[in-house]
Amino acid sequence: MIASKNDRNNDRNDTTMNRASRLRSILARSLRAVPALAALASLLGAGAARAQEYVKVENVPREQLPAPQFVGAAYGFIMIAILVYVFSVARRLARTRGEIAELRARVERAAGSGDRR
Amino acid sequence: MPSVGRGFAIAVIAAIAGFLVVPLLIVSAPVEPVMGVVQKIFYFHVPCAIMMFLSTFVAAAGSLSYLFKGAERGDRLAHAAGELGVLFGACVLVSGPLWGRKAWGVWWQWDARLTSSLLLFLILNGYLLARRYGGPAGKKLAAALSLFAAVDVPLVYKSVDIWRTVHPQTTVVPSLDPAMRPAFWASFGLIALVWGILLTLRLRLEDARATVEELQLTVDDLAQE
Repeated sequence: MIASKNDRNNDRNDTTMNRASRLRSILARSLRAVPALAALASLLGAGAARAQEYVKVENVPREQLPAPQFVGAAYGFIMIAILVYVFSVARRLARTRGEIAELRARVERAAGSGDRR
Repeated sequence: MPSVGRGFAIAVIAAIAGFLVVPLLIVSAPVEPVMGVVQKIFYFHVPCAIMMFLSTFVAAAGSLSYLFKGAERGDRLAHAAGELGVLFGACVLVSGPLWGRKAWGVWWQWDARLTSSLLLFLILNGYLLARRYGGPAGKKLAAALSLFAAVDVPLVYKSVDIWRTVHPQTTVVPSLDPAMRPAFWASFGLIALVWGILLTLRLRLEDARATVEELQLTVDDLAQE
């Protein structure tokens, strides 16, 4: 009985020691990671700071937008829009005048047949 | 082709001559130092914007006379002017982004001037749609819409002074370099002349349509007799 009690106490002591050593190892690893995390943070910070700066870069092709083409496109669009509108109105006007001529002819025919009656 | 009066024919000839002469004046006008050649879009972008405003005011005036006096002629004038408002609005909303892409690096900015201009264009489109698909009450609904469009015009004009925007302010035209003025005023005169010609043509179409409606009623009456 006494022997078995001692064994149990020894087991408990071993377990406590294991836990303590595991905790120490976790803490040690965490502490070792702190400088690495700090270095990463400083790198990210430096990146953000670099994005705020205007740095001259050599031999980079610049975007070239030909201004005369933009002016020509704007003027061309306005000319075409006005021309299309003029043709649209002229076409609608011609159609409506055709309807007027047809209706006048119908009125005259109807009036003529009424007179005969 | 429609029969034309002498004054109308002279106006058309002047407009055709203008389309040949004004580009030469624009090309010979001095280049603006900050924006460069693309600033020349200004010479027809601004006159088109002014014609959009004028069309909106004419449409609102016609709509007012229709709503309060029942004037059919006012309604026809409003319809013609509303359509021209959409035409010149489209010219503004196409030439503006072309200028902006080169000058600002973007096609569009949701700033006060551009957004309120787009809103005005949409209201004018709404006016035409209400007239076409609004049913029996469409004319009155459209007339009310054109009043809202007219209220938007001062907002569009003053937006660049009230809010901070990327668009040039209203002081640009009064402070224009004397060497740039001939090109601007010639272009303005041409666009205004074209506007007058188109309004006259469009009004003739509206008058012709009114004649068709009258004749249709006469034909229906005669058929019933």
